Formats: sequence, C-alpha cells, structure tokens
Amino acid sequence: MSVPPVPQCGFAPLPRTDTAERIATPTVPYWTDVWRRLRANRPALAGLVFIVVLIFTAIFGPMLSPFSYYEQNLRLSNIPPILRPYTVTGEDGSQERFFLNSGNFALYGITEDGRMTDILRGKADMLNRRTTYDIAGRDVVVDYKSLPVSVSIDDSIALPGGRVWNRTYLFGTDQLGRDVLVRQMYGARISLLVAFVATLVNFFIGVAWGGVAGYAGGAVDTAMMRIVEVIATIPLTLYVILIMVFLDSGLTSIVIAIGTVFWVDMARIVRGQILTLKQSDYVAAARTMGAGPVRIITRHLLPNTIGPILVTLTMLIPSAIFIESFMSFIGLGVTPPLASWGTLTSNAVETMRSYPHQLFFPAAALSLTMFAFNFLGDGLRDALDPRLRK
Amino acid sequence: MTGAAIRALPWGWFLRRLALMAVTLWVIITLTFFMMHAVPGGPFVSERMMAPEIAAALDAKWGLSDPLWQQYLNYLRGILRFDLGPSFKYPGVSVNEMIADGLAVTARTGLLAVLCVVAVGVPLGIAAALNRGRWPDTGVMMLATIGVAVPSYVIATVMLYVFALRLGWVPTFGLDDWRGYILPVIALAGFWVSFVARLTRSSLLETLDQDYMTTARAKGLRRRQILIRHGLRNSLIPVVTVLGPVVANLLTGSFVIEQIFALPGIGRHFVLSITNRDYTAIMGITIFYAAFLILMILIVDILYLWLDPRIRAGAKA
Repeated sequence: MSVPPVPQCGFAPLPRTDTAERIATPTVPYWTDVWRRLRANRPALAGLVFIVVLIFTAIFGPMLSPFSYYEQNLRLSNIPPILRPYTVTGEDGSQERFFLNSGNFALYGITEDGRMTDILRGKADMLNRRTTYDIAGRDVVVDYKSLPVSVSIDDSIALPGGRVWNRTYLFGTDQLGRDVLVRQMYGARISLLVAFVATLVNFFIGVAWGGVAGYAGGAVDTAMMRIVEVIATIPLTLYVILIMVFLDSGLTSIVIAIGTVFWVDMARIVRGQILTLKQSDYVAAARTMGAGPVRIITRHLLPNTIGPILVTLTMLIPSAIFIESFMSFIGLGVTPPLASWGTLTSNAVETMRSYPHQLFFPAAALSLTMFAFNFLGDGLRDALDPRLRK
Repeated sequence: MTGAAIRALPWGWFLRRLALMAVTLWVIITLTFFMMHAVPGGPFVSERMMAPEIAAALDAKWGLSDPLWQQYLNYLRGILRFDLGPSFKYPGVSVNEMIADGLAVTARTGLLAVLCVVAVGVPLGIAAALNRGRWPDTGVMMLATIGVAVPSYVIATVMLYVFALRLGWVPTFGLDDWRGYILPVIALAGFWVSFVARLTRSSLLETLDQDYMTTARAKGLRRRQILIRHGLRNSLIPVVTVLGPVVANLLTGSFVIEQIFALPGIGRHFVLSITNRDYTAIMGITIFYAAFLILMILIVDILYLWLDPRIRAGAKA
C-alpha cells in the first residue's frame, strides 16, 4: 500500500500576521487577579464587608449616639432590648403604654413604636411590696410580693400585649444603666486598636526580624531565631499576663504587652520564605549589580513574600483581638469605665440568669468579628496562591 | 531496643534540644523574677499602716532585705530543689502546695480534653476527608469553623446558660459527678477539636492524592488496609506536631474555663494570685507552666522522631 502523493495545490502557507502568537485575553495584573478570586469567594467577601462596616461603626458610631459609655443612671438599669408593653385606656379614651422592668420592678412609659418617654413615678408601699401608679387616670399596681411580678389595672390583672423593640436603647442597658450599644461600639474601638497595634508590630518588627535573620543566615540567623524560639515556647497569653502584672492593667499596658511579643510568628514565617527566595536568580542578579542587603530585602525579597505576610496577618489579628478580650474577661485588661468586649461579656456572666441579652450582644460581636477575620484569611490564602486551594 | 538502634538515635540533636530548653527555662525564670521584683511596692505594702519594725522583720524573714542578686540566686537554688517558695498572701501555704492542690483538677479536665481532641477531632477529620464534598464533609467543616472562630469563653458561657441554667441538664459548677466535666471539657477542647479535624482532613486529602496510594490500590490491597497503613500513618504526622501547642493552649484556656465553671484548678489559682498580687505565686506558677510546656514539647519532638523516619535522618544530619 502506498500513500498517494499529497497534491501540492491543497496546501499554501498562511500570510504572516502579528496575531499568530497573541494571547487571547489581556494579561491581568496579579492584584486584579487576586481581587477577582477573592470576590468570587462569598464568605471571604462577607468577612471583608463586615470588617469595613465594623471599622466605620467603631469610628463614627459613638459620635452619632446620644449616650456616652460612662454615664450611669441606676434608675435605668438592666432595661431589655425587647419590651413587652402594657396598654392602659383612660376614661377619655386616650391610650398610654408602659413596660415593666423585671429587674427593678419600675414602670417606664413608651410610645407605640418602642421609644422610651419617661420613668413613671409611683407611690411605693414597701410593707406590702407594691407600687401604685396613676396612669391615664387609672390605678396601676405593681405587686412584687410573689414572683413573677404581677401588674394590675384597676384591680384586674393585666397582661402585656406583644413585643416591641426598644428604640431608645437598641441593645438595652447594663447594670449601671449605661447604653449597651454605645459601650459595644467603644469595645469595637478597643478590639480594632489592638488589631491595629498587632498589625504594626507584625509589619515593623516581625517582618524586619524574619527578613534580616533569613537573609543574613549563619550565626546571626541562629541567634535571632533562638530568641524567637525562647519566646515561642511559652504561649503568648502567658507573656501578656506577666507584662500586664508588671505594668498594671489598662489599655496602654495591653497595647504594650501585645506589641512586645506578638511578632514572633510573623518573624518565623518571613524567615522561612526569605530562606528559599534568597536562592533565586533575581537576587543573585541584584547582588551582581551591586545592590546592598537592605535594598535586596526591601525591594526584591519582601515584595515577593507579601502573600504569606498578608495571610499570616489575617490569622494573627483575630488572635490579638482574642487575647485582649480574654485578658479583659479575666479582669486583667482595660479598666472601667472603659468597656471591651471581654469585660462586657464577663460582667454579663454574673447576671446571665436574669439578663441574657447583656451576654448575647458582646459575645455575638466578638464571635462575628472572629468569623469575619477567619473567612477573610482563608479567602486571601486561596486568592493569593490558588495552588494551595483544597 | 538493640545497642545499634540506640546508637543510631540522634543523640547530638537530642542534647542540643535539651540545652536549648534549659536555656529557655532559665530565661523565663530570670525574666519573671526581675519583672515581679521591679513591680513598685513590695508584697507587704498595703493600705494598712504597718509598724516599721514589723515591716523590717517581715522583710528579713523572707530575705527581702538581701541584695537583689542574692535573692535571685536563692530563688534559683530553690527551683533546683523544686521549691518555689512561700505564698505571700496565704500565710503558711507554699506555692508548691498551691500547685499540688490545683493539679488534680486541672490534670483531670486537661487530660479529658486532650483525649477529646484526639478521639473526636481525628475521626471527624477522617470522615470529612473520605466523604469529600458530601454532607459529612460540609457538616464537619461548618462545625470546625465555628469551633475555631468562637472564643472558648464565649462557648463556655453560652453553654453554661443554655445547658446548665435553662435546661438544667448539667450542674452549673463543681466536679462532683461526671456531668460536671462535660461543659468544661467541651469548652477547653472545642477549639483544638476543630483545629485537628481541619488539619486531619486537609492532610488526609493530600495523602490520598499521592502516587503510593494509587500503587497500593493497584496492588489490590483492601480499602481499609490502604487507609490505615498508608493513608493515616502519613497524614497524622502534622497532627502530632500540634499536640504540643494543644497542651499549651489547654493550660492558658484553663485560666478562664476554671473561672467560669468555678473549678479549683491551677488556672484559677493563677488568676486569683494575679488579682491578689501574690508575686511569689505568680512567679512560681508561671515557672511551673513553662517547665511543663517545655517537657511536653520535648515529648512531642521525640514522638515525632519515632513516627517519621525522614525527620530522624534530618535530625542526624
């Protein structure tokens, strides 16, 4: 069998064009690509949005709030965020609404949409454990002889109708009558301040330490990493506690404490990266052209480790926030009247049985922030290095 | 072990580790000692006025009038004899006694928590990896995300509210019966169970992709055999690495968990001594923790060496 000759006329060279080797899609810059991958990751995007919203709330929220974080009013203590209003109809048909604060057995007037109008004044009869109020011309009696407290209007037992959200104190008030929402926003400020300090320390000490150790190598590397190893043997919480005992509790101390030891993980990561990267040809090339070590580290090596640095950072920030709230929870953190999410939670634990809402809000704020940073960190890791994705 | 096997162990590596650990411990002892002594005001300074003679007598009794270096040397000498000195707030109680007193409680909850981490975290991770993308995987990953993100003390207080106060299934405090252990152990172990589950899952997934797994399958080995002999053995190595940090985390976790559940463990003693400004107790317990952790890390290192021949080779070199 023989192959028939290919007719010459059937094949002709194509005209030479520039498009032959052109890549179909335009090249995408690295960060645009990262952003595109991050945006496609729903939880990570949600985390990012949450963090941005949190930052804005922490900065501007307290300015917009009519309350301050330290002003106390014991007559307004432990007001819940969800009110159960009673309605009294007066002789003239006018309606008045009020709710009972089961914490101090006091009545507060409210509007239909849940705004608090005033603290109602009644005649207290301590002997019989009852308080009589005159609301819309009717006798309202709060009887706290036996629990649960009963409210009667003109001698007939009244029951609350429906539920309405407290529009004055959206998250209720605490034991000292302070607005929980504004205190939470100050708590967010503290958490974010700690996050900011942790970021700075990681960037300036951690990255520099790891960069120098990794690039210098040899005895310098050994000495520097021994120091890191000594610090990293013991959990950072323990160091922070010791430094707090030394400096006395307070916001400045916690910032210093976290700043002192919080860079060791970053130093390790950066060193590891630099160790592999410094073998690259471009480093050799830069050195041949006479670049000094500082220039090589800052211009060539660190920009190439930015991915792992960012990922480590998003993992370290929540742990810094956690350490602050943990310290505040065990009573070593910020001092009153300042509030951190940790102190808010620990104060709420004492009164958890009666006022679970005081526990719920700070715990939820802290947990959501942790989720946000975790999701963002996971998302960033996938987006910066798609090969790592599992 | 035969003589040859013992000689084959990386003794140089081992000695270097030991030396580094001794140095670490010494640095921590020195640091805590000088930090606690630099805190303004001695341990006997209080609001109550004290006659200068009494103050001088007290200082003399505890050696506080000695020069600082003398006190430091005495303290070091004490530590070498496992004597951490007296508590300054509870007369007649030594720091050793305080630690011994709390150790039983902390060790019991801590051990249960470590067991939990291994016995729950690893199987969860395996189940997730083997059912990749199906509901067990999604479920485990969701649970693990919650466990990693929500702080232990939040988990503890919320559980306390729901299960002890609302539902009354478990006591709110104390360890008088077995149900008392449930919440503290869950709160302590929660984070690390989640962490280990995630780690096991990703490590096993990576191992399952390896060529030797395909080879094992091609040889006609049974599924179970492949999974246990080839899959798990290789994928559990990273899990062993985190066991050191697990112990460390359980210790610091116990500070707050023991406070929430009112358990008389070392963590509670530690936090109490901080609020009481009982400096010798703070120093003593810190050093105890440090020594304990260093020992744990050494044990994990040895375990690691025994599990992974590649590292044995690396350590010898």
